[in-house]
Amino acid sequence: MSVKPLTIDGMSTEFTEWLRSQSDDRLRALVSVRPELITPVPAHLEGLAGRACSPSAVGRALDRLDRFTLAVMETLVVLGAPVPYRSLRAQLARALPGTAGPAFQSALKEAVERLRTMALVYGPDRALAPAPGVREVLDGPAGLGPPAEEAFRHHSAERLAELVQDIGGGDGDTREALAALLGDPEIVGRLVEEVSPQARSALNELAWGPASGRVPNARREVRAAGAQSPIEQLLSRALLAATGEETVVLPREVALFLRDGRIHRDLSPLPPATGGTERDQRLADRTAAGQAFTFTRAVEELCERWSVDPPGVLRGGGLAVRDLKRVATLLDLPEWVAGLIIEVCYAAGLVAASGAVDGEWMPTPGYDGWRVKATEDRWAMLAGAWLTMDRVPGVIGERDERDRLLNALHPDLRRAAAAEVRATTLAMLASTPGVAPTLDAVRARLAWEQPRRRGGQRDQLVEFTLREAEQIGVTGLGLLSGHGRALLPETLDGPGVSGDPGGGRVASAARLLLPLLPEPLDHVLLQADLTAVAPGPLTGDLRRWLALAAEVESTGGATVYRFDERSIRRALDAGQGAEEMLAMLERHSTTPVPQPLSYLVTDVARRHGRMRVGTASAYVRCDDSSLLDEVMADKRAIPLRLRRLAPTVIASKSSRPTLVDSLRAMGYAPAAESLDGDVIITQLDVHRTESTLAARAPVTFGGPEADVVAAAVRAVRAGDAAHQARRAPVAAPGGQVPRSPATSTIVALREAIRQGSQVWIGYLDSQGNATSRILEPARMEGGYLTAYDETRAAVHRFALHRITGIADIA
Amino acid sequence: MTDGPLIVQSDKTLLLEVDHEKAGECRKAIAPFAELERAPEHVHTYRITPLALWNARAAGHDAEQVIDALIAHSRYPVPHALLVDVAETMSRYGRLRLEKHLVHGLVLTSTDRAVLEEVLRSKKIQPLLGERLGDDGVAVHPSERGNIKQHLLKLGWPAEDMAGYVDGEHHPIALTEDGWELRTYQREAAEAFWHGGSGVVVLPCGAGKTIVGAAAMAQAKATTLILVTNTVSAHQWKQELLKRTSLTEDEIGEYTGTKKEIRPVTIATYQVMTTRRQGVYRHLELFDARDWGLVVYDEVHLLPAPIFRMTADLQARRRVGLTATLVREDGREGDVFSLIGPKRYDAPWREMENQGWIAPADCVEVRVTLTDAERLAYAMAESEERYRFCATTPSKTRVTEALVRQHPGEQVLVIGQYIDQLDELGEHLNAPVIKGETKVKERERLFQAFRDREIQVLVVSKVANFSIDLPEAAVAIQVSGTFGSRQEEAQRLGRVLRPKANGGGARFYSVVSRDTVDQDFAAHRQRFLAEQGYAYQIIDADDVLAGE
Repeated sequence: MSVKPLTIDGMSTEFTEWLRSQSDDRLRALVSVRPELITPVPAHLEGLAGRACSPSAVGRALDRLDRFTLAVMETLVVLGAPVPYRSLRAQLARALPGTAGPAFQSALKEAVERLRTMALVYGPDRALAPAPGVREVLDGPAGLGPPAEEAFRHHSAERLAELVQDIGGGDGDTREALAALLGDPEIVGRLVEEVSPQARSALNELAWGPASGRVPNARREVRAAGAQSPIEQLLSRALLAATGEETVVLPREVALFLRDGRIHRDLSPLPPATGGTERDQRLADRTAAGQAFTFTRAVEELCERWSVDPPGVLRGGGLAVRDLKRVATLLDLPEWVAGLIIEVCYAAGLVAASGAVDGEWMPTPGYDGWRVKATEDRWAMLAGAWLTMDRVPGVIGERDERDRLLNALHPDLRRAAAAEVRATTLAMLASTPGVAPTLDAVRARLAWEQPRRRGGQRDQLVEFTLREAEQIGVTGLGLLSGHGRALLPETLDGPGVSGDPGGGRVASAARLLLPLLPEPLDHVLLQADLTAVAPGPLTGDLRRWLALAAEVESTGGATVYRFDERSIRRALDAGQGAEEMLAMLERHSTTPVPQPLSYLVTDVARRHGRMRVGTASAYVRCDDSSLLDEVMADKRAIPLRLRRLAPTVIASKSSRPTLVDSLRAMGYAPAAESLDGDVIITQLDVHRTESTLAARAPVTFGGPEADVVAAAVRAVRAGDAAHQARRAPVAAPGGQVPRSPATSTIVALREAIRQGSQVWIGYLDSQGNATSRILEPARMEGGYLTAYDETRAAVHRFALHRITGIADIA
Repeated sequence: MTDGPLIVQSDKTLLLEVDHEKAGECRKAIAPFAELERAPEHVHTYRITPLALWNARAAGHDAEQVIDALIAHSRYPVPHALLVDVAETMSRYGRLRLEKHLVHGLVLTSTDRAVLEEVLRSKKIQPLLGERLGDDGVAVHPSERGNIKQHLLKLGWPAEDMAGYVDGEHHPIALTEDGWELRTYQREAAEAFWHGGSGVVVLPCGAGKTIVGAAAMAQAKATTLILVTNTVSAHQWKQELLKRTSLTEDEIGEYTGTKKEIRPVTIATYQVMTTRRQGVYRHLELFDARDWGLVVYDEVHLLPAPIFRMTADLQARRRVGLTATLVREDGREGDVFSLIGPKRYDAPWREMENQGWIAPADCVEVRVTLTDAERLAYAMAESEERYRFCATTPSKTRVTEALVRQHPGEQVLVIGQYIDQLDELGEHLNAPVIKGETKVKERERLFQAFRDREIQVLVVSKVANFSIDLPEAAVAIQVSGTFGSRQEEAQRLGRVLRPKANGGGARFYSVVSRDTVDQDFAAHRQRFLAEQGYAYQIIDADDVLAGE
């Protein structure tokens, strides 16, 4: 039973009707797993069907299939015509290494259901058919060559007649005739018997794919009787088809015969077992939490350093190698980890370039918000950013294809697949609780889960993901941690989730992390060697105070601080008093404050501030103090903010020129002094970028949110109902469509697509005649508009540049 | 989060909370692979270094044990990277071995061909090697045994030295345990060394390292060369050996600046060994003067560089190093490891303190305020004169007098650097002064009088520090001094701070001028002493004077 579907724009109406007959629930499920179908939301079901069958959409859908489901799809494509479920089952069962057990039965049911949900397969169980477009995308399913009808496309009628005659089929010079002969296993069996053993082994080489091979002079037109070499024997019997001067292909029918009726050689309904080391999940969680803590602190340390000492932006973008090394030294970490930290900061919007040209890398105002959050929230933000960023820190230091060095923060660090590989890799870890799989096991598993997405780059990304996850604390000892798991969507293509870990998942990850983090302490151990050891993370106040009054000597699970003269002085400078500091020490120490430490504090305080230094931008000095008395008493001098430092010196906060000018205006005759006398106190500038924008919107993976899905389906349904109601051509309104500029035309069309509304356009047809149409625009891309033309009652494509004007329908 | 006493830091230091109930157990577990760096009152700091890990390997510990110990005692999760690093580092030791070969003498063999190939490519290694013996071995010039170990360590592939030792000239030595006996840890240390062949014994100050040396000699029963830091300790060694072993006066020679005796047991100072005349080490022949069966290195952490070079040629002789710490200020721990040997024994510091073998002393820093006139003079002094100026301020004399008055009936030593100051102090305190020009006879008489409590206060110059038998004192007051290396200074202080015969603690005063370089030096001393676990406090001179 061959179906020749009627098509509009290459789209099967049968498929459209099937889609229309699906319940809203099923449509929602469809667009949840294939979110690209509703971006933008199509106007009606025909639009949806059309989009679902487009090569790119089909390709993306197929990419999501695991090896078994893909095999089911391939089988349906090979079988061609709609087949009943049991035929499909029988066909697949042949490829199983053992007998078809219950695991296979349920896996197959699930696979068919999944394909149907994804609208890659349609029709009831008694007649399952691949959706339109799948066949074209799935070129060479299961390593099979094209069917004979296609394989012999380049053969002339004479040659076809010769072949038909030679394989004993009598008359006929069409490809159909040849295909019919090759479709008969008996005939093919006889032909294979006839050829020499060498020829047979050549056939077997091609049987399991790849189906094409190279031979010199493939187009030689030998007859069976005159065939000498093995290749000639095969070519003359139509067991091989020439597809080019030097290429031959094994026709699908012949391959199926050689495969003994099987389409796949061996098939497993279950993914390969993942080997690895068994580990205790609790220990893994603890380790990951420890790492999460360390990572978060490293980020803070980096941002603090860049606050006061921001590195420059390279001319080509990115961060200089030397600056990366500096960060690695600062954090005492290998360079790749330093690169990871920098990139995660960037992705989380904590650092950015202050300007495109001659800018510097520095924390954003967003960092200030991040800094004051609790550790678990800070971590969750970072981990979320890492998970969804499209940049790959792992390639920092490598060279690109043009042999240019890839720097950290360089624009070329983006890889489209990065976020998706991270998510899939972690999802794979989630499926092996208690076992830390090896890198090879992860790769093998991913190859099974996404057989169509393979390659060196993905393998590398998987490796990066595993080692980065460990550094960030998403995994611990190779196991996905509880808090890391919380960041992942429920299922990668399930409904109701979005790739960007929104507030909900970040918050729940933070919640899970919290109990694993060491409780903040409010005490330290003070020692006579002037150190303070904080045996764990400190509460915010105490931490900030110690950072002020002592130098950090070592970090890790604990923090070691050292007090010295400089650090005490720094605290005094910040307005702390000796009494206050001693009280602080006493309050936060479980043991008495060591005498040398309290002595140090009082001793430094004793000397502190005996000498005073202030800021003044100009001064007035005069040996005649009465003259200065006069100036001080003058009301006009108030805005100059003068201060008498000594009988003969006045300091001012105004600049020297202002002061000179003002004094002159007041009737004095001051002389400006050279710059040597000028006191300018510089302050440590803390830098921030101006923009609050995060580095980039993160890439999304997984499906869209449930409410988005529901709204989209509702819109499609409604649009479709309206669309269905009006099938007959409608007359366009009389008169000319007012002309409108191209930009507003596009805006109006986009709006109409979004709303699913109709528009009235003026259009120059291909003959240059001005026409007037009523359209229901569906899609706009590549300079063309696809729309349902009410005036012609058909879907057409319109060149955007020929639309002369647009107006709403009154 | 567990409640372990240990916290692992990202810089590979380990913090041990000493008041924790499991601290003792934890210390035992980590001591083999981590070096104690600081031991102040609450939290001790240990450091994991490659050398420490290789020491552990040499002592028969494996990476699994180290990792278990870290995980078991750590309060917080141990970073995975650190554990991986530990395992990786430990696996490097022993991949290469130096072995004795019947035909080729000394050979370098490997169980890992890739490692052997890697080191053979090194330009520094190549000249030390002879012919290649098959895939897994290569001959080594016997004279380069030390050099090759040094270079291999630098490459990160420390070799295990299995080539054995020469026995040396036999000489009967026995311990005479009359009225005293070897402490358990001393016996263990000597045995651990003997089984290891060569290596370093780490014991805290005052734990009786000399006796461990004597016990090692009694094990070896062979002629022995002992290298010590200075003449004082050369004398001490001699006294100890006479007291503790069957050796007689005639069998022990001193090889110092003044005497050049070579006897079955010879004690030489580093100084004389490293003396050069016209660029030539004059006393190298000492190493070849006898067929030494054992070489003892005292205070290995102070071993000067030329001695390392000489030691490189002594690899076939048994060597024992004695020290309180493996940390060297010049960072040459690697040379100690490769040339003298791995750490063979390390005593639990805490335990020894509990048993009363070592006792901490009280250190008090007294700060003297300069008068305004002195401050002005100090500010104007030339930089090289500054220390002398602030160290000899007259205010110090008054404070010292007050301090002496506060310890009536106790034996007090006043130690200083500058003779004028000492003479003045002697006058004020009405006490005899021992300085460089004091005759030996007179010196001995005064020491004896001090010991017999006929004199209560003695003023001594730095020369007396090196004096053969500086008597014990309950109180020491340092008014000025030279401050070179922290380590050296503390070593000297350590001698004065020895626990006293009556078991009581000693008191050590340093009189320091406030806000001067004197105080800066004091800060170093304070840090070092506090890190060593000594109690330390700072008081004002005014309080001392007011307290009277």
